Amino acid sequence: MPAMQMAVPALRAADVSTVTAAQMADVDRSAVEDFGITLLQMMEQAGSHLADVVRMEAGGDLREQRVVVAVGPGNNGGGGLVAARHLVNRGASVRVVLARPALRMSEAARHQLATLIAMGAHCCVATYDLTDEELEHVLVNADVVVDAVLGYRIHGAPRDEAERLIGFIVRAGRPVVSLDLPSGVDPDTGEAAGIAITATATLTLALPKPGLFRGEGPDRAGRVYLGDIGLPEALYAGLGISAGQPFSAGRIVLVDRTA
Amino acid sequence: MTSSQTRSFTEKVGLLSEVALFAGLSEADMQAIGHATTMTHCVRGQRILSPDDPPDRIHIIKKGRIRVYRMSPDGKQLTLDIYEKGTILGDMSVLGQDRLPEAYAEAIDEGVICTISPDELNRLIERYPVVGVNIIRHLSRRLQAAERELEAMAYQRVDQRLARKLLDLGQRFGVKTERGTLIEARLTQQELAEMIGTTRETLAHTLGDFRRLGLLESSKHSVVIRDAEHLAEIADGDEASR
Repeated sequence: MPAMQMAVPALRAADVSTVTAAQMADVDRSAVEDFGITLLQMMEQAGSHLADVVRMEAGGDLREQRVVVAVGPGNNGGGGLVAARHLVNRGASVRVVLARPALRMSEAARHQLATLIAMGAHCCVATYDLTDEELEHVLVNADVVVDAVLGYRIHGAPRDEAERLIGFIVRAGRPVVSLDLPSGVDPDTGEAAGIAITATATLTLALPKPGLFRGEGPDRAGRVYLGDIGLPEALYAGLGISAGQPFSAGRIVLVDRTA
Repeated sequence: MTSSQTRSFTEKVGLLSEVALFAGLSEADMQAIGHATTMTHCVRGQRILSPDDPPDRIHIIKKGRIRVYRMSPDGKQLTLDIYEKGTILGDMSVLGQDRLPEAYAEAIDEGVICTISPDELNRLIERYPVVGVNIIRHLSRRLQAAERELEAMAYQRVDQRLARKLLDLGQRFGVKTERGTLIEARLTQQELAEMIGTTRETLAHTLGDFRRLGLLESSKHSVVIRDAEHLAEIADGDEASR
């Protein structure tokens, strides 16, 4: 999978603030409660950027590319479902694999799933709709796997259906683009307490999570892109976070950890 | 629904008495109802419901787990949910519930399903009015629950919403133990937070308050309600005394 990074402006890691999981939870809460930016608005931007990163990582053209989007039950999964829609629209052959039954996903994620069903996109649940052999076959034959299984709110080792799906992704050994952080990697420490994804690239949202730069994070995350979900500087200021203007050069920036 | 093995009549009656729809009936009444309903023993993979079925039957899961799924035009399945004992499936308009659109249902493991047709249900209600009363109770509980949920989201504090939700989960899924009502959490804190419209952090904080007040014990995978009465007072709007 040849990466095409020339279109993306770069930002030195030292020049961008990080936010812990607890701070990011505050950021999300304040976006909704204080600024009226809904979860669906943020999710749309996250998923749209994620599809862009997948396109860049796949060499610039998604037509004929087989993309498997692995989706957890929370809002990280919802971002993956938005990306799936944009990937279909750009010509990719997309399969959506959910970790959990559809009605056990977050409300926002179910909203995105309903759109995909209406589009006739191919969606199934890992544990119930595919045999182990079918799941393995689907993943091994993917050109790119999108990891939207677990988000920044999850600490500790992945469990149950998420653990199982992550295990299959890891064993398939295909290029992975993770949303926000590789599933299984702690957002604050960068350590993996159990099974974890090693991504080719990670699109983190709003501001990077410290775990991308610590512990196993740098080895697990691959290239780190930062995506703008449209949060105002006043929001960060209200929470005492100095965000600066990381998106002055573009809405997706490549975070350069070597500089 | 194709039937495989039908259970013995006494077993059938024994199982029927667990269904809330039939609460309040005598042993003799239950025996009579046993004749009027179909109890099916299903095997793994057996189809229980399909969109092509006559849309007029109620199925009550008595034992086992049922997978409900949709099928795309090209035959690909998408699992919607897994239901367990006590769930009512099928055309539930008679019970005030919508039919799941285009849904199929099949048994995940061995199970027992009790099936009632509308005619059978009407006859049952005529002969045993208490069945009709039980349906009214069921509907009214559902309506009250829906109204409470709306009201809770709009006006109530997080501790009220959490207390109400825990009592509700306790009633629906709780197991009575010596220490109190045990709710085995299939839910993460994040999911519980979303159910009551708050953040995980606020939920954790409120659970901590409840623990300190001795209202409950909570661990990663379970909650034990120790003092349902006090929890109910909080749900009704009394401030949790700090």
